[in-house]
Amino acid sequence: MHYVPDLVTALFFPPWKNWSYFWDLTVSGLTRGSIYALIALGYSMVYGILKLLNFAHGDVYMIGAFLGWFMLHWLGGPADPFISGWFVVACMLLFAMVGCGVLGVGIERFAYRRLRDAPRIAPLISALGVSIILQSSAQILFGAGFRDYGTEELVGFNIHSIGDVFFSTVQLVTVLLAIALMIALTLYVARTRTGKAMRATSFDREAASMMGIDVDRVISVTFFIGSALAGAAGVMFGLVYGQIFNLMGFLAGLKGFTAAVIGGIGSIPGAMLGGIILGLAESYATGYLPQGSTFHDLYVFLLLIIVMIVRPSGLLGTPEIQKV
Amino acid sequence: MGQPPYEDPPDEGAGGPVGEPRVGVDSWVASHEGRRERSTGISGRIKAWWQRTPPAGRLLVFVIPAIIFPLVSNSGNIYRYGILTLIYALLAYGLTIVVGFAGLLDLGYIAFFGFGAYAYGYLASQHTGHHWHAELALPVVVVASAGLGIILGSPSLRLLGDYLAIVTLFFGQAFVIFVNNANRIDFPFFGQVDLTGGAQGLEGVDPLNFFGYKVSTNKGYFYVAVIMLVLIVAMLHLVNHSRTGRAWRALREDPLAAEVLSIPVNRLKILAFAFGAAVAGLIGCLYSSIQTLDAPGDYSVGLLITIYAIVILGGAGSLSGVIIAALIVNGVPELLRNPSNGRYVFYVGLLLVLWYFLKTWQRLLIVLGGTLVFGWVLYGISSVVWDRGTSGQPVVDPETGSNWLSTAISHWMLTPTDRTQIANWAFFGLVILIMIATLVRGWWQVLVLIPTVWIAAFAWENLLFTPDQINGPTRLLLLGTVLVVLMNARPQGLFGTRQVEIV
Amino acid sequence: MSSPDAPDKKALLELRGVTKSFGGLRVIDHLDLHVDEGEIVSVIGPNGAGKTTLFNLITGVYTPDAGEILLGGESITGIAPHKITNKGIARTFQNLRLFLNMTVRENVMASQYGRTHATVFESILLLPRARREEKEIKARAEERLSFFGQRLMGYRWDQPAYSLSYANRRRLEIARAMATQPQILLLDEPAAGMNPAETHEITELIGEIRKDGYTILVIEHDMHVVEGISDRVVALDHGAKIAEGSFDAVATSEQVVEAYLGIKGAKEEADEGE
Repeated sequence: MHYVPDLVTALFFPPWKNWSYFWDLTVSGLTRGSIYALIALGYSMVYGILKLLNFAHGDVYMIGAFLGWFMLHWLGGPADPFISGWFVVACMLLFAMVGCGVLGVGIERFAYRRLRDAPRIAPLISALGVSIILQSSAQILFGAGFRDYGTEELVGFNIHSIGDVFFSTVQLVTVLLAIALMIALTLYVARTRTGKAMRATSFDREAASMMGIDVDRVISVTFFIGSALAGAAGVMFGLVYGQIFNLMGFLAGLKGFTAAVIGGIGSIPGAMLGGIILGLAESYATGYLPQGSTFHDLYVFLLLIIVMIVRPSGLLGTPEIQKV
Repeated sequence: MGQPPYEDPPDEGAGGPVGEPRVGVDSWVASHEGRRERSTGISGRIKAWWQRTPPAGRLLVFVIPAIIFPLVSNSGNIYRYGILTLIYALLAYGLTIVVGFAGLLDLGYIAFFGFGAYAYGYLASQHTGHHWHAELALPVVVVASAGLGIILGSPSLRLLGDYLAIVTLFFGQAFVIFVNNANRIDFPFFGQVDLTGGAQGLEGVDPLNFFGYKVSTNKGYFYVAVIMLVLIVAMLHLVNHSRTGRAWRALREDPLAAEVLSIPVNRLKILAFAFGAAVAGLIGCLYSSIQTLDAPGDYSVGLLITIYAIVILGGAGSLSGVIIAALIVNGVPELLRNPSNGRYVFYVGLLLVLWYFLKTWQRLLIVLGGTLVFGWVLYGISSVVWDRGTSGQPVVDPETGSNWLSTAISHWMLTPTDRTQIANWAFFGLVILIMIATLVRGWWQVLVLIPTVWIAAFAWENLLFTPDQINGPTRLLLLGTVLVVLMNARPQGLFGTRQVEIV
Repeated sequence: MSSPDAPDKKALLELRGVTKSFGGLRVIDHLDLHVDEGEIVSVIGPNGAGKTTLFNLITGVYTPDAGEILLGGESITGIAPHKITNKGIARTFQNLRLFLNMTVRENVMASQYGRTHATVFESILLLPRARREEKEIKARAEERLSFFGQRLMGYRWDQPAYSLSYANRRRLEIARAMATQPQILLLDEPAAGMNPAETHEITELIGEIRKDGYTILVIEHDMHVVEGISDRVVALDHGAKIAEGSFDAVATSEQVVEAYLGIKGAKEEADEGE
């Protein structure tokens, strides 16, 4: 655990007194933030298209972490895998992403599709239901305890440094992978036909369907991509923090959504920015604010409230003009 | 944005639904009469009688059995079935104000309940050494909860519906984190202060003490809860038919039109928040004094989902539906805890669900018969080639032992020894089969349903019904399933009226 | 009511240099407008001329970027919509915004919120003021609904609003607006989507409403309605007033004809390009 100064010492403990402490916090914030950003993307994409808060998204992330764990153990476990460590990680990521993608498509098909034109509250309640189903199913199937990822045995725990900045390989990989996935997503949405169809659908679903866009398919693809990103985030979480459990999805989902809201919901760069900001804010709050290690979530909540008051449409979101 | 298609042509073109045109009656009236005529039979008669009963009479229908119940029951059952149901119902009524009337999706509602409980615990417990009387503590807590509702509601004013949901959900979580850790807050000038007892909970909460008369038995608390219920239901009924209630419903329907028609939307939203919070705070006091302990785990998302399930199941805005829904949501899982009751509950519930979805007796019988035969065939095969499959025993009540149903089950259902892994795969298979069953139609559906029902029974007997699962995850799993199925099949809930909404 | 041209009439509603832009597009451009007491003024103009935005500005849904809006000489610029309604402006919506799941009578009763003062506690305790007000607004709602003859009477009172026909929904919107007891009534396309018989009825109805002493500002596309009811007609195009005066004068005005039919052609497109 970090040394946690109380209020008085915090005032006399600015970053320039101890740069390496500051960089530690920054690295851990960026790692956290990348994971939040990946979760936020799924929220944001789904919200952009369906105007639906997919409460189950955080639990899809949790399932992703477990899928990764199973893949890890099918490949021989962290201590003695059949293939080399990083190749195992790649398999875990792939399996979790595909599995979560399919799960997301299934959730949309069975819990949300019929409710597209229902009163606004109906899909939200359905989403809450799916969330609780996933949580309790995970508890039934995997148990309520922690599961170890064994990252250190799997890929080692090498520390690199650039000047004062220290980071582990896993942290570096997490951040880079998140950036890579985001670039891929941005290109996909901007360049491909399906990406264009997605944007059209998010502007006006009905008009898009009249223009010959298969809206059902577009929504399925959106859910697949969003959930796959959450799956990747789940595996990364496991690798970075070492342990997963069946209730990890709730708070992570909440943070992911907060990140999406801070960045401006419905905006893809907004979700990334929001995720990074949230991760850094949480990390700095942990390190610098009074009793940060216990109450960092409360500080994040405060940040959410402040953003909502100052800029209700988020940092990169466009304010909606009320149509009369 | 447009209005949904209207149901009747302009008044000139009137005609009855049954064929012959009727002068002076438009199609709405005619179809309404048609509906009324259709609702014959037992359920129709009950419905018609219910609609004729005045509100006070409807309340009595629930109150009279509630008054009798403690006289014929023991203390444990009063607590398990009576008090908990009432607390759920009371919480659901508070939520009805916010969600049902004003249409605000408040997911931090449980935090107000928890706040009330902790506030009462702070004012009257051995933990803090204060021992306020209830007649003083309850009003103070109610006002404080309402104040907290206003504080949380104010930043939410500018938020559209969904943002409100996330802010309030986060608030609920923040509350849990706070009370879990608020036993060692280091204040700059006061030093460490223990506000909540931390993860241990706030212990030794006083019983409610009205002017020196202490409520100490479950029976006593039950009656206190009934009185609260009557007062709150009466209050809700009166508010709903007052200018405030109408304004709430108006802003739920169309906030902009409400604002333009002289309704101060923002103030009313905060008022709804404060009202919901005040009711939740009051119930928190009651709950805290019954438990004599405020534990942080009691105010989690699980409870939130439970209360939402009750409000939705009862039909948002339906006052009598809430009580029935609370009975179902609290009572059914309580019954499930006991293996001999639980098995009846599960199979009867399964039958009802099948009957609702299959709609015809013919298909229901085919599915049931098919499932039975399917099970026997599997049992037969297994007893020949896979000995382990039939060597286990179904879960039975340790006190009363097996009854006819568990004996029958043990001769039909595979109950393998060392079953965890098989049962996990069966659970997975069940999910897949249910999905397939909702996708196919007609006789294919009947065909798919046979193994689905069997595997549901298998997963139930071998996994969900086991002592590890039945008290925790199975209950939540059933709740979640109820929410999803209900939203898809009947979004207005069991007792609500269908709402029209512009999308 | 006195004739519209009486010289001693004071402006009930007045707009001075009101301007509103959305993301660089100027929807209302330095608009001056006045509506005198007892007058019926029609606003006409092609689609996108800014007519509904004008209503939104007057009722406070939007705040003007510049300029001032006065009601009876008092500025109402930037006040919350419900307060403006309480000061005496009521409106209907072009695309109908009824409280669909509430009954017909409740729709009208809900709109009298600003006219009643009983707090929620008085309502719960059934104190005298709450009961008296409840009786009053119920009576007033029924009276307003009786304004439309038998159409919204009797069994209709307890029907949900969604069960009404389109024409009846329009009538209910008018009744709801009138129940706020406004000095001036803003009607946004009251005849839209109605058949000729219903349109005729609406025309007569507006005449009736005026006889009750209401001042009316109306947006309308149906020129028969405009001709039938207006004391004065204001034509808008691109957020600016292009003609004002009697129906005949405006209808024959060159600019109005141009705005509707676009004779100016290329020149107008150049103007639009800004």
